[in-house]
Amino acid sequence: MRLVPVVFSLLFSAVSSGANAEGMIVLAAASLKDALDEAVRTFDANTGQNTKVSYGASSALARQIERGAPADLFLSADVEWMDYLAGRKLIRTETRVDLLTNRLVLISPAASNVTMQIAPGFPLAAALGNGRLAMADPDYVPAGKYGRAALQSMGVWTSVSTKIAPSEDVRAALRLVARGETPLGIVYRTDALAERKVRIVAEFPATSHPLIVYPAAVTAVSKSAAASRLLDFLRSPAARAIWIRHGFGRAN
Amino acid sequence: MTLTVDIERRLGSFRLKTAFEAGGGVTALFGRSGAGKTSVINAIAGILRPDSGCIVVDGSVLFDSKRGIDVPTPRRRVGYVFQEARLFPHLSVQGNLRYARLFSRAPETAGHFEHVVELLGLAQLLDRRPGNLSAGEKQRVAIGRALLSEPRLLLLDEPLASLDTHRRSEILRYIELMRDEVKIPILYVSHAVDEVVRLADTVVLMSAGEAVATGAADEIMGRSDLPGAAGPFEGGAVIDARVVAQDLEFDLATLAFDGGTLTVPNVDALPGEPVRVRIRARDVSIALERPQRVSIQNVLEGSIAGIGVESGGVVEVAISIGAAVLRSRVTRRAVQQLGLAPGQEVFALVKAVSLDRR
Amino acid sequence: MFPTLEELQILGLSLKVALWSVLVSLPLAVAVAYSLARVNFPGKTLFDAAVHLPLVLPPVVVGYFLLLTFGRRGPVGILLEEWFGIVVMFKWTGAAIAAGVMGFPLMVRAVRLSFEAIDRKLEDAASTLGAGPLAVFATVTLPLALPGVLTGMLLSFARGLGEFGATITFVSNIPGETRTLPLAIYTYTQVPGGDESALRLSLLAVVLSLAALFVSEVMVRRATRRIMGDDADGRH
Repeated sequence: MRLVPVVFSLLFSAVSSGANAEGMIVLAAASLKDALDEAVRTFDANTGQNTKVSYGASSALARQIERGAPADLFLSADVEWMDYLAGRKLIRTETRVDLLTNRLVLISPAASNVTMQIAPGFPLAAALGNGRLAMADPDYVPAGKYGRAALQSMGVWTSVSTKIAPSEDVRAALRLVARGETPLGIVYRTDALAERKVRIVAEFPATSHPLIVYPAAVTAVSKSAAASRLLDFLRSPAARAIWIRHGFGRAN
Repeated sequence: MTLTVDIERRLGSFRLKTAFEAGGGVTALFGRSGAGKTSVINAIAGILRPDSGCIVVDGSVLFDSKRGIDVPTPRRRVGYVFQEARLFPHLSVQGNLRYARLFSRAPETAGHFEHVVELLGLAQLLDRRPGNLSAGEKQRVAIGRALLSEPRLLLLDEPLASLDTHRRSEILRYIELMRDEVKIPILYVSHAVDEVVRLADTVVLMSAGEAVATGAADEIMGRSDLPGAAGPFEGGAVIDARVVAQDLEFDLATLAFDGGTLTVPNVDALPGEPVRVRIRARDVSIALERPQRVSIQNVLEGSIAGIGVESGGVVEVAISIGAAVLRSRVTRRAVQQLGLAPGQEVFALVKAVSLDRR
Repeated sequence: MFPTLEELQILGLSLKVALWSVLVSLPLAVAVAYSLARVNFPGKTLFDAAVHLPLVLPPVVVGYFLLLTFGRRGPVGILLEEWFGIVVMFKWTGAAIAAGVMGFPLMVRAVRLSFEAIDRKLEDAASTLGAGPLAVFATVTLPLALPGVLTGMLLSFARGLGEFGATITFVSNIPGETRTLPLAIYTYTQVPGGDESALRLSLLAVVLSLAALFVSEVMVRRATRRIMGDDADGRH
């Protein structure tokens, strides 16, 4: 086997694959991963598109768009970061819709059999003991902000605020609980359903936190005609089935 | 002290197969470059591992392949002065000297440090760094360092090779001084004839990895049937003599040896001092009668001890003068013309004498 | 424009994490560098490649491996907790491990280079003076390798100071415990209105790095001078 030609052809194929048939770039919140992957696969299969999705914390993605990332579609995990971009005229406001809703849950590793009822003043700190509460960073990640809001409304935030293990995004928090590194964690219901190694201990009342809404919009810089078609597809009944199967709720 | 070496080692295409015995005093490992001299002392020091054989110093077995003995270098108590000094650059001169005491397993002799420093003239250098020393200074420090480790045997590997002529004689004098003052047996590697002649009591002649001859220095250095081994060394005689008189007017000295006297110019020695003289075979002529009105000052009476093998029209004739043996190189025609034969009484005319201190 | 108390605490934590990571990884790095420089053992190439892995893997991947190994459910984590009662998960010690692991290949490379540059003949000379292998290492090899060791320490320190991906993936972003300088800067950039703090911390990071570089440069020069043999007053 001749090494040099093989290496060359590998390099070239890597370089040239980017210049394929019209490709869209979607930036989406981490918690949408499994469901959105499936939806996009279906869309691409139906339309012959080649869509790439990049997942991360909504804050990081919004910052990337702000700095000029060539994204076509943005799916945020909270309203604040979409408003942030809207205020800087970085999205096409006429395309903005509230796509999905989600619920917040308290999880534990699958092997644990801890039980808890979420009610005002519930003994969360005691249940943590020496361990930590895994959640997305409440300072800037939507899932974390919802979590803090929920704990505050239950009146237990101050008792656990020093025991948080703040993660870069909600999936990282999920991973910690799945590994058994923390006794409890707060993630979206959709995340808990996606991970076999965790179990849902309790669901936070929808009233304990601002509504978890996933707004979606086409970006201002998008040159893709297919972007709004994708957005339409994501709101269609076909896509809805996928969302519900993964545990999301309809926005309206 | 007795040193017994009988080792074999293959180094690439070079085969070392050396066996010799040496006593106290200075033993020179003499031979040309590449003869294997450094390999031998490296084996004695434990830096080189022979394939087979044994090395014994004063009854202490340092290496014996049959019994599986291989004493590690640090425990051999063999001092080594390397050709390039190998001083530790991160220590001062004093640090280098004191290093020798750090790991020495021998008990320290009181005043030894000061004694060595004085002997080698190192007092001014103590605070200096090896990087700032001249080559000669480095060698002195290296010798001092090796001495301070209180070894039972001192190895010197061509210590003067990297020095210029002036430094060489200076350091040579220091080594002589050390030889006389310090009672440790010395193994001295060199390819330089004058060093060996001056310093050695015993000579082990090495050639192509083998010790081809061992014996007293004056005997070995006088032999001319070893031309290949000695390299560009010229056949001649080496004679131990003593200064008996000085002629200050003509700047001459009279030397007495066991067989007669020699008159030599420019001798920087005092009466009574022992010296060693070298007389090259080509500087000796033979006469059947004592010549008259000739410039040569040294005419010695003796008899022919033997006539050597001819090579290139030239023959070497050994002449015994008392207990000493001189060698003379003459043409075969001259031998025939004079009718030279063993036992014949002749006169040896010595044109030039090289002199080395002892 | 002066740093707030909180920012100074972040700085202090970063320094603590980076310094400890260097100190603890140093003996291991020296041992590894020595074995790579001097010893020929089976699997040496593989070992060398493994040592360099943190250099080529994405930091997040390294962080994940650390999570698997040193987490409370990981093999080493369980050992540490059971035998020594040490838990590194969610602690600054975990951040130090992340920093140390990421900087390790840099330290090993620098130290190995300096070991390889040492004249073995000096070590032979030392052994003829009675020094056993360990003594030779301590009194000749290591002192002569000092400039390389110092360089390796600086490289690892700088790498550890700037370590982000492995740290956040392994021990999360806990204020006061694992929120080192890079994590703090990142957090501030993510919060609307945090730009000023982010900028201040970034400037602090620059100052810190320059200081570390300067100190190390002085120390390396001095060590090299010692070895080159300048006299105390600088004469050459």
